[in-house]
Amino acid sequence: MANIKIVAATGCPTGIAHTFMAEEALKKAAKKLGVEIKVETHGQVGVENELSKKDIAEADGVIMAADKDVYAYRFHGKPTVEVSVAKGIHEAEKLIQTIIDGKATVYKAKKSSSSDEDESASNNSGNTMIHSIYKHLMNGVSHMLPFVVGGGVLIALSFLFGIHSADPEHESYNPIAATLMDVGGLGFQMMVPILAAFIAESIAKRPGMVVGFIGGLIASNGGAGFLGGIVAGFLGGFVIVLLGKLLEKMPKSLNGLKSIFLYPLIGILLVGVIMTLLVEPMTAINEGMMSFLSNFQNANPILLGVIVGAMSAFDMGGPVNKAAYVTGTALLGEGNYYFMAGVSAACITPPLITAFATVFFKKYFNQAERNSGGVNFILGSTHITEGAIPFAAKNPIVVIPILMIGSSISAILTYMMGIEVPAPHGGFLVLPVVTGAIQWVVAILIGSLVGAFIYGFYKKRAFLKAEKEKGGEKDGQQIA
Amino acid sequence: MDNKLLDINQIKLKQPLTSQQEVFQQIASIAVAQGIASDHNEVVEGLIKREQESTTGFQDGFAIPHAQVDAIKRPAIVIVSSKEGVEWNALDGKPASFFIALLVPKQEAGTTHIQTLASISRMLIYEEKREALTDAEDANNVMEEFAGALV
Repeated sequence: MANIKIVAATGCPTGIAHTFMAEEALKKAAKKLGVEIKVETHGQVGVENELSKKDIAEADGVIMAADKDVYAYRFHGKPTVEVSVAKGIHEAEKLIQTIIDGKATVYKAKKSSSSDEDESASNNSGNTMIHSIYKHLMNGVSHMLPFVVGGGVLIALSFLFGIHSADPEHESYNPIAATLMDVGGLGFQMMVPILAAFIAESIAKRPGMVVGFIGGLIASNGGAGFLGGIVAGFLGGFVIVLLGKLLEKMPKSLNGLKSIFLYPLIGILLVGVIMTLLVEPMTAINEGMMSFLSNFQNANPILLGVIVGAMSAFDMGGPVNKAAYVTGTALLGEGNYYFMAGVSAACITPPLITAFATVFFKKYFNQAERNSGGVNFILGSTHITEGAIPFAAKNPIVVIPILMIGSSISAILTYMMGIEVPAPHGGFLVLPVVTGAIQWVVAILIGSLVGAFIYGFYKKRAFLKAEKEKGGEKDGQQIA
Repeated sequence: MDNKLLDINQIKLKQPLTSQQEVFQQIASIAVAQGIASDHNEVVEGLIKREQESTTGFQDGFAIPHAQVDAIKRPAIVIVSSKEGVEWNALDGKPASFFIALLVPKQEAGTTHIQTLASISRMLIYEEKREALTDAEDANNVMEEFAGALV
């Protein structure tokens, strides 16, 4: 049994002391028992000494000594010992011995209930792959969002001075409006570069961020938009991962040189060249998609409303939502204010659906839901679709379609009435500059109320069903 | 600002302490006196709160209470030992008498301090280190033992 390899993950809620004590204890014990070990620590500074897929695949066993989640799903199918962090400190030798003796039980990720072992294993790896892509993407989106909101609302405010007030050639020119527009515009322009930077950062830490940022700038300047940003982000991340592999054999003493000089230099060069080559076809795809969507506007406002509504409510601030949203902002740049009106309506609707539902169907929601329902009036009114996520997360298969229906109705009505919204963000804050403001609010309210009633009746049915199953027994929590 | 995590004035050995509460009071008093923390009670509460999550008692009489609260202004280590053992729900069931308190500000941006604190924790895994600390006659001996980890 020579050369046994073990991987371990340690973590505790505070992440100052025990995480690292367990790490040290496991390393010490491994040395004594003559086995190879790699310990990943989930401490205050984040995850250190991260286990790669390869590490886990090659390991003979896994030790999880943690009082918090250390992404256990990764260890699916491995012989695993799962204990508290305290046991990791005190019984390190025993834990390692268990793995050496082959007595560890095979870990099963909780979600896979399939009886077919092979199928569940392959499913699972597929899921984690999709999951990690989604995780990288959302890291980008969540860093991008503050730029969009801050910049977007400033731009919207500048419109309050008049729609052309930032244009020095125009008679309604106002220097304050121009400043708001400039500053807001700067924030807004960062959208795609930041998206790309933090997708890459999620994949390859700081070196990835640098390279992703440059790739994103190229995409942004070239007009490849959101799509280009996503490609640049993943490209940047993987270029750095690849570079890491190629430079693996360099002596450790040159590590500093690597991260401060080689990664940025070679990485930026590679990503820059590749993105410059890619940006043209991607811009074509991007423009094709935009003209595809905007063509519907005249041909078939109902179909466009359904598409925009469904996209916006599908993941509430996620990549699909943003694809519709970014198309809207790009068209704004071309002077098309109709498209954005529908997108805004569809983005405002989901939080409002949940807000109205908690008001009209009060007794079927618990106190926490009612509270966040109230907040959602504000989030919805300011175009922050994310407010609906907690509600959707509880039962996405039912709730998301309901939100999509409501958003579609809002968007369809908006397109049919030919409403114009010239601001890229801000929700009801920008009402003074909306052409057809009253109709727009009515359209959104109709969509929201229809959604709220469907959602409310669904909650009522679920509630009554649960009540029935419990017999006469009252469930205090749900009624309270 | 002083960058030192451990100072000779932050070590008080062989104190007449008999309860966990007294130990926490002592740690907080030192922290306030040395300008590490601004509020005595908040430090004590932070230590208690952490203790309630799970014991910080280690083994052979060692415990590493820690707190991360707003009142703590700079990261620091405070070391207290008691003449008699204090019940600490330690994992080996023995009472604790050597307390190494890790105090961390709520907003600790730099990771270097955390890593230093972590390396203190790592030290305790080694029996010879524990013995050396238990045998330390005065604060100077303790300082010497930690010197290696505090570079």
